[in-house]
Amino acid sequence: MAEITAAVTKQQQALKSKSKVRRFLRQWDLQLMVIPALLLIFVFSYIPMYGVLTAFQDYNIFKGFLDSPWVGFKHFEMFFHAPEFERVMRNTIIISVLKLAIGFPAPIVLALMLNEVKNMYFKRFVQTVSYLPHFLSWVIVSGFAMSILSVENGSLNMLLQSLNLIKEPISFLSIPEYFWTIIVTTGVWKEIGFSSIVYLAAIAGIDPSMYEAASIDGASRFKQIYVITIPTIMPVVIIFMILAIGNLLSAGFEDLLLLGVNPILRDVSDVLDTYVYRTGITGQRFSYATAVGLFKAIISVGLLAFANLLARRTGNSLW
Amino acid sequence: MLVSVMALTGCSGNGNGNGNKATNEPAATNSETAAASEAPASEPSVFKLGSEPINFSFYGHYDWYSMPAWGGDEATKWIKDNMKVDITPVQSGGNAAQKLNTMIASGKLPDVIWMDRGADVEKLREAGMLVPFDDYLDKYPNFKKWVGEEAINMLRSKDGKIYQFPNWYTSQPNGNAGYLVNKKIYAELGSPAIETTDDFYNYLKQVKEKYPNVTPFNPDLAIDGQGLDVLYGAFGEDYSPAYVANRAVPSGDKLTSLFLDPVFRESMQFASKLFREKLMSPDALTQTKDQVKEQAYNGTAAVFAGASPTEYGAVGDSELKKKDPNSGYMMIWPVHKAGLDKSKIWSGTYTQLGWNVSVITKSAKDPEKIFAFLDYLTGPEGTRTLFWGPEGIYWKGTDADGAPIFTDAYTSDVEGRTKMMDATVNFQWNGNTVFIDTSKMKFELTLPEEQQSWEARWQNAITWKTQKNATEYINLAPAPDSEEGIIAQSFEELYKEARAKALYAKSDEEVLAILDKAQKDAEAIGYDKLLAFKTTKWQENLKSMKG
Repeated sequence: MAEITAAVTKQQQALKSKSKVRRFLRQWDLQLMVIPALLLIFVFSYIPMYGVLTAFQDYNIFKGFLDSPWVGFKHFEMFFHAPEFERVMRNTIIISVLKLAIGFPAPIVLALMLNEVKNMYFKRFVQTVSYLPHFLSWVIVSGFAMSILSVENGSLNMLLQSLNLIKEPISFLSIPEYFWTIIVTTGVWKEIGFSSIVYLAAIAGIDPSMYEAASIDGASRFKQIYVITIPTIMPVVIIFMILAIGNLLSAGFEDLLLLGVNPILRDVSDVLDTYVYRTGITGQRFSYATAVGLFKAIISVGLLAFANLLARRTGNSLW
Repeated sequence: MLVSVMALTGCSGNGNGNGNKATNEPAATNSETAAASEAPASEPSVFKLGSEPINFSFYGHYDWYSMPAWGGDEATKWIKDNMKVDITPVQSGGNAAQKLNTMIASGKLPDVIWMDRGADVEKLREAGMLVPFDDYLDKYPNFKKWVGEEAINMLRSKDGKIYQFPNWYTSQPNGNAGYLVNKKIYAELGSPAIETTDDFYNYLKQVKEKYPNVTPFNPDLAIDGQGLDVLYGAFGEDYSPAYVANRAVPSGDKLTSLFLDPVFRESMQFASKLFREKLMSPDALTQTKDQVKEQAYNGTAAVFAGASPTEYGAVGDSELKKKDPNSGYMMIWPVHKAGLDKSKIWSGTYTQLGWNVSVITKSAKDPEKIFAFLDYLTGPEGTRTLFWGPEGIYWKGTDADGAPIFTDAYTSDVEGRTKMMDATVNFQWNGNTVFIDTSKMKFELTLPEEQQSWEARWQNAITWKTQKNATEYINLAPAPDSEEGIIAQSFEELYKEARAKALYAKSDEEVLAILDKAQKDAEAIGYDKLLAFKTTKWQENLKSMKG
């Protein structure tokens, strides 16, 4: 009996692989179209990857890659023992967790709310206005933020003062306690509209007859959102969640660099990417910066794999 | 190597050797042409600029720098046409560090790089990418004459050779650091004496009481030092703001910790007091240059202090005068702590080597010709043309010193002259400070006060007298990837943070506590080692200045 089943499965497998090859051959013209994309990725993403090897060298820009001496894990050790290590790691994790916890659900909520708006013109208007900031560079956004939060003639201070909520203007951008709030808020303001597009698209794909059926059964609008909209867009949400977790160590760069200019904020604003920028580009310690970047990349891949593992349980994993 | 260069240039030199005096140089430059033609007698291979075309590429190693088209304005057009010099710009594209690294890595260096002295130049030199100037110095007259022996010694690299052509080098004090005071507010408050730091404090207090919408004191971009460094000088006789810039204070023949320096500690307490009592701009550490300028042009701050407040002071002065002829800006003698000698108070520094340098790379086909051009540019003839435009418009002929004799158009057509001079600002690669300043001042002082330029007046009256020579403290910074360099980088962050925290401190005692803690943290990361390194460098400087 066991022998028979084994033979059958073997046969099945052979059939399966044969049919795969056959299927591939039948689609050869379609498969050819993938080649340019693969080539592009290979040339621009895989070939330059040898550059990470400089993390194990004392890279000298004059000698070049081939003649620079190999030093093993020296730069990694230096980073782990650097006085800034603890602070940089702590800030990176806190800021990105905050951004994930607040910045990730925010566009979903916006999409759900927009979906309930019945006036098309108003909906379009809100959509356009909310995703415009995405196209502004951080230089401009931080300029806005700085002038709004400024002590002298800053609109927020003027507003709070005229409402008699505060007496003396507050120097928002030089109080470490406020910094994370400012970073998360400006980030949400900038990206909320644009990120919500994906969710709106997913919502638009829901069959309206489901809502009709639900309302005949007497489900309220909140109930409909809860039992129809959210479960239907869940796969999209989970895929974006996996990607977001993979980026957990990218706490942001331009925003922190531009809004955290005041050195008094260094304690709360210094993250991996700003640190790499300062040591690598400004300080010209290429190997050291590469080592820190590589460290970040390895952790990110680990996180991505872990998030995917969790998602597989729900059946919505990336791979 | 030397022989081949000589042989190369020999061909061109001989062919034109007799054409020396036939070129269209202004007649009054006899002294230089004489000097130039003296050399050819023994050195037949001197390249005569203009005798044949030269063409090279030029790269300015700064994010903000973008070289205008060579020949796009009257001055450079004149040089292009008459001296047969053409220059191809290589732009940094707003990302200088990356651009230079890429050019090095790909082995395609420009012929000339214009950059800061220090670690970057040393790196290029160590890699054997620069051309030494030593063989050219005696052949071309201006470098030796104007840069001067002492500065030339300071420019020497470790191997004893000279690779750098300095810019805005000087042998006399210059610079603009100091205090800028709003005239109108000052007069309305009864023109009180602002001499000591107590006077200064009281004045700011008065401003705050009477003008609630005016910032009493704006220290410019305090994040870079600026007004805070100027204040430092007020608390010690002969204490140069360069000590703060180098994060090292000389004591005997050693450089010691800034955090333990009593003058620094006292100046930080004073600054913190101003900040705490809202006498200093609350945005001091976060403001941008535009914000500073806005305050200056609208007259919404009573006093400014910075490394170069004359820039916005001059514009601000004319802006404010448009609204009220009695308004405007003036500068005051640097304030001092009561009991100190005010003639020993310095608000800024200058170095004999000036600002930055040009280097010629091995990519250059004909380095000697490029050197000859740079030498021409820094000499009186090149300087006159580049700075005030070609002869015949704003100046005609020269006096005995080679200084241009300005025409009436110089004073009557201020707009046209400013336009002409502004067009070449980004071509001032090896500015001859002494020649320009003396020529300018000689002329300005013949004018009645209301016709003098605002800048020239205050430079002459105050700022040039209150800048201290800091040449001995240049190039103290270690290479960024050396052990000391890594310490220096960590220290820099620690220092900036400590200074910000000290400024925000709630009491004078807290300021000291913050500085003590900073000292402890700095010791832990190896500040002593860094100081030892800087001490060695400083001692080397002192030695090489003596020659």
